[in-house]
Amino acid sequence: MGNEPERKSCMAVVGSLTQAMKAQSALTAAAIFSRVEKAESSATRRGCAYGVSFPCAQEANVREVLRNAGIRIRGGMGGR
Amino acid sequence: MSVRFCAMRASASGAEWEDADVIYLDNAATSFPKPPRVQEEQNRCMRLYCGNPGRGSHRLAMQAAEKIFECRGELASLFGSRHPENVVFTMNATMALNTAIKGLLQQGDHVLISDLEHNAVWRPVCRLAREGRITYDVFPSYALFPDRTPEQICRGIEARVRPNTRMLVCTHASNICPVTMPLREIGELCRRLGLLFVVDASQSAGHIPVDMEEMRIDALCAPGHKGLFGVQGSGFVLLGEDLYADTLLEGGSGVNSLDEAMPDEAPERYEAGTLPTPAIAGLCEGVRAIKEIGLDAIAEREHMLCGQLLERLSSLRGIQISVPHARGPVVLFHSPRLPADRIGAELDRRGICVRTGFHCAALAHRTLRSPADGAVRVSPGYYNTKADIDALWRALREILE
Repeated sequence: MGNEPERKSCMAVVGSLTQAMKAQSALTAAAIFSRVEKAESSATRRGCAYGVSFPCAQEANVREVLRNAGIRIRGGMGGR
Repeated sequence: MSVRFCAMRASASGAEWEDADVIYLDNAATSFPKPPRVQEEQNRCMRLYCGNPGRGSHRLAMQAAEKIFECRGELASLFGSRHPENVVFTMNATMALNTAIKGLLQQGDHVLISDLEHNAVWRPVCRLAREGRITYDVFPSYALFPDRTPEQICRGIEARVRPNTRMLVCTHASNICPVTMPLREIGELCRRLGLLFVVDASQSAGHIPVDMEEMRIDALCAPGHKGLFGVQGSGFVLLGEDLYADTLLEGGSGVNSLDEAMPDEAPERYEAGTLPTPAIAGLCEGVRAIKEIGLDAIAEREHMLCGQLLERLSSLRGIQISVPHARGPVVLFHSPRLPADRIGAELDRRGICVRTGFHCAALAHRTLRSPADGAVRVSPGYYNTKADIDALWRALREILE
């Protein structure tokens, strides 16, 4: 366990909680694990926001799945 | 099915509880009883996960939000939409229709509405017209004509289209008679003419198949508490793709809290304030119940009951049935012998619930040439039985003869 490499998680901030849930459905259908989360305030200058967190290694796939599902990524994506 | 319940009755000695057997035949107003799974899920919601959806990220808020998203998905799939995020929850169908009509129309637009519309369509349109913001015309449904055709109705629409006509609002099924409108043909016409097509599915949702895409509907409005077996306080408008409307209400949306404007995207853009999570949780189960029973089975049962009802009513002297040639889960009649409200009161005394008067549908009653005191509406539902119809018939025979 102690030797396991750290798995960074990234977050795609989307337009709303509903969009985040839709994103999670699309990612699940594409066999990509994700979690709906409230974004940290620093991720947006507009106040409360939601997104999906996922393993950073999947970033390219996530972008493609969300684009195909018509979900606009509004911020985030950085590893944490 | 008669429903045994405990009712509060006023009496000479004050209010008291009494047990009563009731035959409920007012499902066009609200369906009753609800499937047990609807009651159970609402109860589960209130006991276990009734956080405020979209407000915060703790587990109860997220669980409530997940249930609401589930319900959006169930509704979208029932109505042939691939976009659960386009299901906008409202308090009822009236609010849904106001959201679509007021949100999509602009200054100077012209609107067409059918002559069977409920006040939920007629009144907002009249108000906008009175304020000089829009103009409108009413197109005929030909509801009284047994040989009416979709082509005839479409010709009536085309004859009233103006260069500035932007929207057509049409009920799918009348709330006072068993007449339906040919949505497929009207939707096709609207698409060809470039009109927004807004549908009031208050009496058809959960009774007749409705497909947003096939029928080319831009905004489908319905209550949750009628054919969909949900409870009062749950309604929705299902928006078509790429539709952007002005907001009816502004307030908390759970996102972009620092902005002075509502968010851009549906559904949060149109859902200011806290949603009724228990009601939506119940609605979700109501829709699942419908999918399990099947719309065909529901329609078959309701048509069977209404066929029996029409046969029974036609054997009674002193009853005039409105639109006797049509078949559907709503039957309207009146009697020259007794005012409609009196008939309703006498039926209630015998434990039978129907609705009398004008049913919030002035335009439609005018179209059907109802008498000045209105009419009696009987609307059986999936849970009624042949015995209920027979009981109504016996009661009416006693009252009228």
